[in-house]
Amino acid sequence: MDVISSTFQLFIFPGFLFFILLSFLFEWVDRKLYAAMQRRIGPLYTGPLGLLQPIADFIKLIKKEDLTPKYSDKKIFNSVPLLMCALMLTVMLILPVAGESGVISFTGDVIFAIAAMTLFCILIFLAGFSSMSPYPLLGAERAVLLLLGFEIPLMLSIAGCCIASGSIEVSAIVSWQASHGWNIFGPQLLGFAIFLVAIQAELERIPFDIPDAEQEIVAGWMTEYSGRKLALIRMARNLELVFMSALAATLYLGGPMGLAPHWAEGIAFPVYFLLKTVAILLILTIIRGIFARVRIDQMVAFAWRYLIPLSFLQVALTLIWRLI
Amino acid sequence: MGVQRWAMGRSPWVLHFNTGSCNGCDIEVVATLTPRYDIERFGIFLKGSPRHADVLMVTGPITRQVKDRLIRVYEQMAEPKFVVAVGSCCISGGVFSNCGKGACYNVYAGLDSLLPVDAYVPGCPPKPEAIIDGITKLVKKIKEEK
Repeated sequence: MDVISSTFQLFIFPGFLFFILLSFLFEWVDRKLYAAMQRRIGPLYTGPLGLLQPIADFIKLIKKEDLTPKYSDKKIFNSVPLLMCALMLTVMLILPVAGESGVISFTGDVIFAIAAMTLFCILIFLAGFSSMSPYPLLGAERAVLLLLGFEIPLMLSIAGCCIASGSIEVSAIVSWQASHGWNIFGPQLLGFAIFLVAIQAELERIPFDIPDAEQEIVAGWMTEYSGRKLALIRMARNLELVFMSALAATLYLGGPMGLAPHWAEGIAFPVYFLLKTVAILLILTIIRGIFARVRIDQMVAFAWRYLIPLSFLQVALTLIWRLI
Repeated sequence: MGVQRWAMGRSPWVLHFNTGSCNGCDIEVVATLTPRYDIERFGIFLKGSPRHADVLMVTGPITRQVKDRLIRVYEQMAEPKFVVAVGSCCISGGVFSNCGKGACYNVYAGLDSLLPVDAYVPGCPPKPEAIIDGITKLVKKIKEEK
């Protein structure tokens, strides 16, 4: 019985299948809202309201011819998309969906999450570098520049949460918020803002879509990928979007916990999780809709001149708050 | 095969290639992205990389200079791939056909002399509605034949 329930948790809910379907849903929400902000309609004819559009894209790419450029480093080039998907699906399991803790939970899983984010950037660099083609190389270089700028504020804002609750375990942070109030109400509000800006950069979305700026460098580090490798990369990026918004909801909005009668917790908690995560996604998409791309020098200056001092200030505020 | 055909018809990603056009057709192609026409309703994206694209949309007269590049871009695309010729210049040479005596010295007679063309969108320039209609006809063709 225990084996069956843990297999169910790992593969179906809240495991791989749930997160993959969620990633398709997120892409749809993202595209629809982005289109609405430009007074367009967005995907409409594929399924009801275009809901199946991401799935159609995925199937089409899976079925297309799989090209490997002649001069690419074939081993790395072919394995990066798989590694990206595997990394994202693994790190997803620490997210609490139906209770205080996720499928796997251990002391220090917050650090595991941070490490996975950094590793994802390194995989992007490898993807661009192994293509051995000018545009992917430029894109990879820019991705690493983005990593140098925004990884530190991201880590410091997460550190603020950890200091406030006195733990580096996701489930402990969630249960601390359940008894002390959400992190966003308090000194973490600044950290929440920094976190949102930093994940926007980590996800390479519009104000910071420098690594895959279409008008400048074709498709950045993804330029040489086609067919099922591109499908896997797109899926990994959607999973990253789900992961980042779910992490924001977990760290700042109390995770899946909320008011519910004891007998309805099994249904209410996943619903709360979805509501909070989609709320974060809407904020991210609105940011994407109202900004234009910044230049590289503006991005670096913004990260190092404003975001990093602000995140240090936020950690200091949290420490003072805790001492009082 | 059914699922593949459905998915293929639902998300044709387009690569726009300008072979030396006067920018008339190009503006109309880009106009299909605007809120008024919104080509994303059909799941169509304008992509920058030939590796990502399914449909090669060619505008402008095919000059001898651009022929090699056009064929290289076509070969970089992954199968299954389709070609759409947009505008009179691309279909037949347009105003450049028969300049001088007989065939023109620097412009090919049409895109179909070089690549297998799946859909033609006539006009100088064609309206955005006509381009969308051309792509939907191509989609219909994908669904019925391939």
